[in-house]
Amino acid sequence: MIQAIVFAPLLAALIAGLGNRMIGNTAAKAVTTAGLFLSCALSWPIFIGFVTGSAEAGVTPVLQWVQSGTLSFDWALRVDALTAVMLVVITTVSALVHLYSWGYMEEDLDQPRFFAYLSLFTFAMLMLVTADNLVQMFFGWEGVGLASYLLIGFWFKKPSACAAAIKAFVVNRVGDLGFMLGIFGTWLVFQTTSIPEILAAAPAMKGASTIGFLGARVDTMTVLCILLFIGAMGKSAQLGLHTWLPDAMEGPTPVSALIHAATMVTAGVFMVCRLSPMFEAAPVALAFVTVIGALTCFFAATVGTCQWDIKRVIAYSTCSQLGYMFFAAGVGAYGAAMFHLFTHAFFKALLFLGAGSVIHAMHHEQDMRYYGDLRRHIPITFWVMTAGTLAITGVGVIGVFGFAGFYSKDAILEAAFGSGTELGTLAFMLGSFAALLTSFYSWRLVFLTFFGKPRWAGSEHIQHAVHDEHHHADDAHGHGHADHGDGTAGYHPHESPWSMLVPILVLSVGAVFAGFVFNDTFINRESFWNGAIFYNEHLIHAMHHVPLWVKLTPGMVMLIGLFIAWNNYIRNPALPAAFVNNFRQLHAFVYNKWYFDELYNFLFVRPAFWLGRQFWKIGDIGIIDRFGPNGAAWVVARGSGYAQKVQSGYLYSYALIMLLGLVAAISWVMVK
Amino acid sequence: MDFTASLALIAPEILLSVSGLVLLLAGAWMGDGASRLVSYAAVAVLAVCAFMVAPALCSGAMGPDTVAFGGQFRADAFASFAKLLIYAAGGAALLVAPAFFERHGAMRAEYPVLVLFAVLGMGLMVSAGDLLTLYIGLELNSLSAYVLAAFLRTDERSAEAGLKYFVLGALASGILLFGMSLTYGFTGTTTFEGIRTALSGGLSTGALFGVIFMLAGLAFKIAAVPFHMWTPDVYEGAPTPVTTFFATAPKVAAVGLTMRVAMDAFGKQESAWQQVIIFAALASIVVGALGAIGQVNIKRLLAYSSINNVGFILIGLAAATQAGASAMLVYLSIYVAMSVGGFVAVLMLKDADGEAVEAIADIAGLSRTQPLLALCLAAVMFSLAGIPPLFGFWGKFVVFQAAVQADMIALAAIGIAASVIGAFYYLKIVKIMYFDEPVNKVHGKSDWIHWALLAVSAIFISPLGYLLTRWLGSLADKAAAALLFAA
Amino acid sequence: MVDLSQYLPILIFMGIALALSAAFILLPMGVARLTGAHKPDAEKLSEYECGFPAFEDPRSQFDVRFYLVAILFIIFDLEAAFLFPWAVSLDLTGWAGWITMMIFLGELVIGYIYAWKKGALEWE
Repeated sequence: MIQAIVFAPLLAALIAGLGNRMIGNTAAKAVTTAGLFLSCALSWPIFIGFVTGSAEAGVTPVLQWVQSGTLSFDWALRVDALTAVMLVVITTVSALVHLYSWGYMEEDLDQPRFFAYLSLFTFAMLMLVTADNLVQMFFGWEGVGLASYLLIGFWFKKPSACAAAIKAFVVNRVGDLGFMLGIFGTWLVFQTTSIPEILAAAPAMKGASTIGFLGARVDTMTVLCILLFIGAMGKSAQLGLHTWLPDAMEGPTPVSALIHAATMVTAGVFMVCRLSPMFEAAPVALAFVTVIGALTCFFAATVGTCQWDIKRVIAYSTCSQLGYMFFAAGVGAYGAAMFHLFTHAFFKALLFLGAGSVIHAMHHEQDMRYYGDLRRHIPITFWVMTAGTLAITGVGVIGVFGFAGFYSKDAILEAAFGSGTELGTLAFMLGSFAALLTSFYSWRLVFLTFFGKPRWAGSEHIQHAVHDEHHHADDAHGHGHADHGDGTAGYHPHESPWSMLVPILVLSVGAVFAGFVFNDTFINRESFWNGAIFYNEHLIHAMHHVPLWVKLTPGMVMLIGLFIAWNNYIRNPALPAAFVNNFRQLHAFVYNKWYFDELYNFLFVRPAFWLGRQFWKIGDIGIIDRFGPNGAAWVVARGSGYAQKVQSGYLYSYALIMLLGLVAAISWVMVK
Repeated sequence: MDFTASLALIAPEILLSVSGLVLLLAGAWMGDGASRLVSYAAVAVLAVCAFMVAPALCSGAMGPDTVAFGGQFRADAFASFAKLLIYAAGGAALLVAPAFFERHGAMRAEYPVLVLFAVLGMGLMVSAGDLLTLYIGLELNSLSAYVLAAFLRTDERSAEAGLKYFVLGALASGILLFGMSLTYGFTGTTTFEGIRTALSGGLSTGALFGVIFMLAGLAFKIAAVPFHMWTPDVYEGAPTPVTTFFATAPKVAAVGLTMRVAMDAFGKQESAWQQVIIFAALASIVVGALGAIGQVNIKRLLAYSSINNVGFILIGLAAATQAGASAMLVYLSIYVAMSVGGFVAVLMLKDADGEAVEAIADIAGLSRTQPLLALCLAAVMFSLAGIPPLFGFWGKFVVFQAAVQADMIALAAIGIAASVIGAFYYLKIVKIMYFDEPVNKVHGKSDWIHWALLAVSAIFISPLGYLLTRWLGSLADKAAAALLFAA
Repeated sequence: MVDLSQYLPILIFMGIALALSAAFILLPMGVARLTGAHKPDAEKLSEYECGFPAFEDPRSQFDVRFYLVAILFIIFDLEAAFLFPWAVSLDLTGWAGWITMMIFLGELVIGYIYAWKKGALEWE
């Protein structure tokens, strides 16, 4: 069964990708979507089996892979509670995104390729989460990286999309280098790549040995875990290696929902949870994870407050939410991290797909300054986006009911506080402030998009659309460019087709209920995880006994954020501009994403280009080409000229050369 | 070894000389009108001779039973292998000649007779077991060749070719003769066996001079750098059938003779000549390749190509092993087929009036006007360049393999690298024929003999040739074993 | 090995011959240069032929028939040269030697017949 789940998307991807135009759009879309729905249908029973406690963890061998000396690993599919969670997240979101793309990509010329990429991505992601050894995990890891690259650059005729794709790939390579070194180091230390064997041996290694790394002797487990975590940082866009994620929004919106919100970017969190016993043996590494997670959470939330592009807001939001997951893992609350991953997948995919629906309605206009008052035009989208916003901001009443984020985010903040460490408290504080910002930017998005007055008259995309419409209708009406004076320019957005609305509605069910239904399972039931992650009984206990003000904090900051957003964008829309004028430098700093891109550009990109240009101009053209192909050709041409010059046609010169040759030969053998 | 047995061993040579004399008189009495008849008779004689030498090769004859006249002459498998190639090449040169010379009104009965005498001389060369046999064979061949080069005596270029060949040939003969004198002087004998024994102890300076002078004289005959200067001028000036002959048979004979001298007579003193041969090999490869670039006359280009090929053959000699000798013979066989194919194809390039087309620019777009001819020529070019599916690759492969087995990896590597230069101009011909705009110059029809010869060569060098590798290899091994019997 | 020392007198003889001939040529030139006035002009450098200006270019072409006759002469001259050592050693070489020479002579006769038939012996 697990084979079917994993390989159905691969098969579908091959059929759609290789068949391409031969089989046509509809067939390609049908086969991939059917493959994903099959996987999804098979995944839920597995997950429910683990939830009810009737399923057993197990490994299904597939193929022998490498047998070389002491190094040996096979293709095998591992299923336990952790995998089961990921399976339902991946297959459900992927299936819904496939369905959604029917509508969203309706007018694209290259649909089979898109659907093939989507299914290929799903396959790679499933390989990643079912991996039984680190090498197979790395295979999946690189597979999703490839698919992400292909999908970000799907509209490869747009230079910005190509640049974003390359950026995503290159930044991920940095993380992957850490991951690879981590895998190599792990094999060096444990003499195996099998995850269960490593995890079994890890606790005994805690502080047991040191290893030489970059010329220094450091604790073995710390080095290994930090290296592995660097891999996770790249994939999950954590502070420092996060720069690719906002740019990745150049890809089609379904891709953003699937890859850059729900699944791939959470691979880092999954990896840390999967290897949690190993990280538990490295307290310093965990502290590092906590700090990075908390900082990312805070940093991305600040940047999210200033963005105008609807997808970039959600992208920074994703980055921030991933930070929550990491510091949860860092303080030892792996269950909470996975729980947030689970709920986040639903509400973030929902927000992205909702944003996609808005963008679809607004003719690919993504700037929120050109939205406004859309709740009248696209009411269903409005309601599901509101549900998603309620979920991400964590609206709920303790002990009664809450939206998905209410449970998972609160659990994380409580765990951070409950861990009792200084770093945990710091993480709690940063996380709480980030929750305020989350509430602010999420409601800001909703208010800018759906409330206020229509503002899209100035949008170029809309003008194009209106122009085209009028172009067709010109003869009938006689006048083309009427100024309607209401900010609509005569354009009236329409609700998206049902193929797009159905997935959003399904996801909104998840966004509303996922927290309420599974809260107990993820956080409190050790029997559910059953050893799949490191379960800290003590921490869970501490978490439930935090002071009341800690439990109330998330709700309070959420309300504060909501109030500020309402005050700034509904009550007094002029306020943000005034604020920006007063705090010009702070705004510039945040608006420009803390100048990370500029810093990297200065530190790495330009030196790399300079170095590359040196290699190109001096090394390649100046040395290799000059003395290699071109030089050889020059020598041959010159030699040929000489050979012909010597061949003068005069007998005496011929005879002279013969005699010279003879003398040379004699001299040589005599001297020798 | 008694006299009758010796006579039996040189039966092919006797037949050749007697029939040469008879045909000479027949030609004198019957006039030039009978020259076609004389030519075919000469081909028949060559065919008979081929049947007479073949058994010695197939049985791998070697040792005392094959030595005639007290060591002066050897009819072993090695000689038979070389003679078969020589007879085949001579036959081809006879078959394509009448059509060519008749157009110039210059077909004479002397042509086949001269070819027969040249072939006789070459047979003596490859069978030589004594310096005197060597010299007589060489001169018999050379004197015939000088006349053949100038056979179109009203044509200035042909006369120039004959004269240049003669003067430089005389110089080379002088060098060779001087080397032979020194060798005789320092060893006291003219038989290869005796020289070998005399030199087994060591090499005096005088004898070293002898070795180098003799090899220099022989290098002239095989057109190895730096004794190659005559080749382009002679190949270009001589009538094309004669060039076909020069590029094939004398090459085989001279290489065979050099092998005998170097590996038999001087076989105990490899170190004395090995480095000189290595230099000659590499220099030939490089100079042949460089010289060919920029040529506008296809015969001249093929002349440089033959210099280039000699370089590869000499790599086998530089190895100085039985595998090397065997590889040289395999290479020679393939080389003869490639050269015959190439020159026959050149002979078939004629304009509407039947005049020979020799300028490379004039065969532009040949693939569209004469697709079959262009295909065969392209196959020859690819094969000469040593591009794998064609048989030319096999020749290079066995030679380099022999060099590597003899621990001459650097030599093989340099040789392979230099062969890249050669690929350039071979491919250029193909490019001109296939991708350039047709100039529509080549119109002439050719008779079936040309087509047949071209087809045989093309099939031999085509990938089908690889079916022969085992058979060819075993024959070459037998011949090489016979060559090194005394060693 | 052959003792080359017995060739030494020949080498000495060659050396003396070279020295003498060089002296005969160079000595008068040297003396003339040292003693006489050296003022060449076109008249002085022109060929001198019994007091007359030269009638024609000294590098005149000879009729190719001279060469033909000369070559034929050399061939039969060499034949005769071969006959002398053969004749004096016939008692050692015996019948084999006799037959060999007869074949050689026979071949030359064929060549002679060919040349005759081709008209190489007729002047006009």
